[in-house]
Amino acid sequence: MELTIILAVPLILSAAGLFVKKNEGLANLNCLGYLLSLIFSISAGYRFLSAPGSLSVDGLSLFFVFTISTVAFAAALYSGGYIEHEISRNLITKEKARLYYPLFNLFVFAMLLVTTVNNLGLMWVAIEITTLVSAFLVGFHNNKNSVEAAWKYIIICSVGITLALLGTILFSYAFVFSTGAKSLNWTELFSAASRLNPEIVKIAFIFIIIGYGTKAGLAPMHTWLPDAHSQALSPISALLSGVLLKTSIYAILRYGLIADKCLGGSYVSHLLILFGMLSLLVSAGLVLVQKDIKRLLAYSSIEHIGIIALGFGIGGPIGTYGALLHMFNHAVTKSLLFFGVGNIVNVYGSRNIRSIRGALRALPFSGLMVTAGIFALAGFPPFSIFFSEMMILLAAFSRGYAVLGCAMLFFIVIIFGAVIYYFSQVLFGEKPKNIVPYKEPLPGRLAFLFLLVFILVSGWAVPVLLDGLIRSVLILKGI
Amino acid sequence: MENFIILGLLLSAFGMVFSKRVGALIWNFTLQSFFLFLLTFIEAVKGGGLSLYLVAVLVLILKVLVIPRIFSKMVVEMKVSEDLGFFIRPELSLIIALLLAYLSWVFSGMLFLGAAAAVAFLMMALGFFIMVFRAKALAQIIGLLAMENGIFLLASLVSGGMSFLVEMAIFFDVFVGAVILGIFVYRINRLFVSIDVSKLNRLRG
Repeated sequence: MELTIILAVPLILSAAGLFVKKNEGLANLNCLGYLLSLIFSISAGYRFLSAPGSLSVDGLSLFFVFTISTVAFAAALYSGGYIEHEISRNLITKEKARLYYPLFNLFVFAMLLVTTVNNLGLMWVAIEITTLVSAFLVGFHNNKNSVEAAWKYIIICSVGITLALLGTILFSYAFVFSTGAKSLNWTELFSAASRLNPEIVKIAFIFIIIGYGTKAGLAPMHTWLPDAHSQALSPISALLSGVLLKTSIYAILRYGLIADKCLGGSYVSHLLILFGMLSLLVSAGLVLVQKDIKRLLAYSSIEHIGIIALGFGIGGPIGTYGALLHMFNHAVTKSLLFFGVGNIVNVYGSRNIRSIRGALRALPFSGLMVTAGIFALAGFPPFSIFFSEMMILLAAFSRGYAVLGCAMLFFIVIIFGAVIYYFSQVLFGEKPKNIVPYKEPLPGRLAFLFLLVFILVSGWAVPVLLDGLIRSVLILKGI
Repeated sequence: MENFIILGLLLSAFGMVFSKRVGALIWNFTLQSFFLFLLTFIEAVKGGGLSLYLVAVLVLILKVLVIPRIFSKMVVEMKVSEDLGFFIRPELSLIIALLLAYLSWVFSGMLFLGAAAAVAFLMMALGFFIMVFRAKALAQIIGLLAMENGIFLLASLVSGGMSFLVEMAIFFDVFVGAVILGIFVYRINRLFVSIDVSKLNRLRG
């Protein structure tokens, strides 16, 4: 029941785009709709915790539904003011802005669909829909840069997803090969996992991790990510970095559960550690040389996806718990930063780090939020990312991955330094005379505060709902 | 009979690698899709039920008729040069294609599958090859669709096709994807006055 409503809300909202004429109306309707979605995702979560069998999905799905609903609600709050600002700067026309809301809603719908369907073929379809819809949102400005970014995004991710489809078919082949029956339902594959042919599952999982890993932004398949995330409209950058990458991680996790049960031991772990470490390496190298502030954040997303992959790879109760918690923490923190940076970029009319100075004076509210967000992102206590990173590091050292833990710490410190250095240039100093201070509209401010609560709290006092859902995933994994 | 069709699929895949002009590439892709239609149709006749007939008809309509026609029209409308733009020499293309054929065969063996599956893997590999080593944006779309043709063949070989609903959904996705990519090719052509992907080099680092 709750899930039906959660999925219906974005669909109804995108249909509303045909009838509501005013952009403000659409923006407000979106806020209401996603508030409703968020409430229902919380209620579905609690119902699952009290009676696990009463829903058609498991804790892993509900964890993602909650994360997506949280970020989508914040992005809906933020979008109205952002789009108005873009219109006032003549970056987009009023007519074109009306296209934004239906696309936004379809995008969110597709992401929610990914995490709630049981059929692995349909999950593939939903992930492909996320690419197709968001490509328009990446290329929304329709200039040379954004069209180039959109083209690379759609082509590279389509190749990735084609490989994932091959992996999907090989999993279904493994199922036919071993059981004689035909199915693509995750629950059926999972319950038959120990009987599947390990050789086929090994090859199939490689295609899954490369295929969906492309969409998740794991290096070395990440090349589309900095372009797309920096060219997209800022609320969309938040959705891309905050949750879209994670829906692909979700897909990898689903297959990982099957492959782990079939192969046992370390096969899946080692692959995740390999790609996670590569992602950290690549982002640490490239974050140092960035000139574009949104690109900087995009590379930091590659870093965090790497950390998440490492967490799952290291595994164990603490590593897995840390990785899941980190996924949520990164989603809220990175969204807040993209919102703040979106406002800064709109006021200064540039994304170049060297030409933005004194953002704290030009945008007192957004500037303050970005300052908090950047320390949170870099992993300062008491912000939530510090705690989830610590959990993953702790798991690394306690499970015999000491060298890995040290390397991870080394890369985190490099990125920490680079991010703080670049952002201190942007935030502090005198603002240029020609910049008019900007006052954010109320819904926009609420979006920041809403996310900030999670950033402040969900490290040292993990919300009961998140904690319960994460624990149910640990049970699913049998640890 | 099926073996001849598989051979046809193989030859048209090689034909795509050797196409020097956009028109030839589209024609070879159409041919490949037509062989895929024949294969599905024969399976349906052998007793696959109504759903398999429907899948066959969809292959015919979308991949043999609609998509190639859209692409041909685009080439005419955008007045782009017919030359595909090779990033590597044709001789080297041949050597790589043969190497890929061998690897597909080995790979198929690793998965306990036969020659037909090897052709499916080769179709994917060559599709990818075309995407990487041909300059025109249209070639990237066709390469992608060729990869999907390979997957389609593999799916029908190893699991007797996926469930009908899933198959329809994937079809819909692929079609919408091709159309959206087409829209972006138009945009690229308008903004960059060319559809050479090598011109898309503004975003770096």
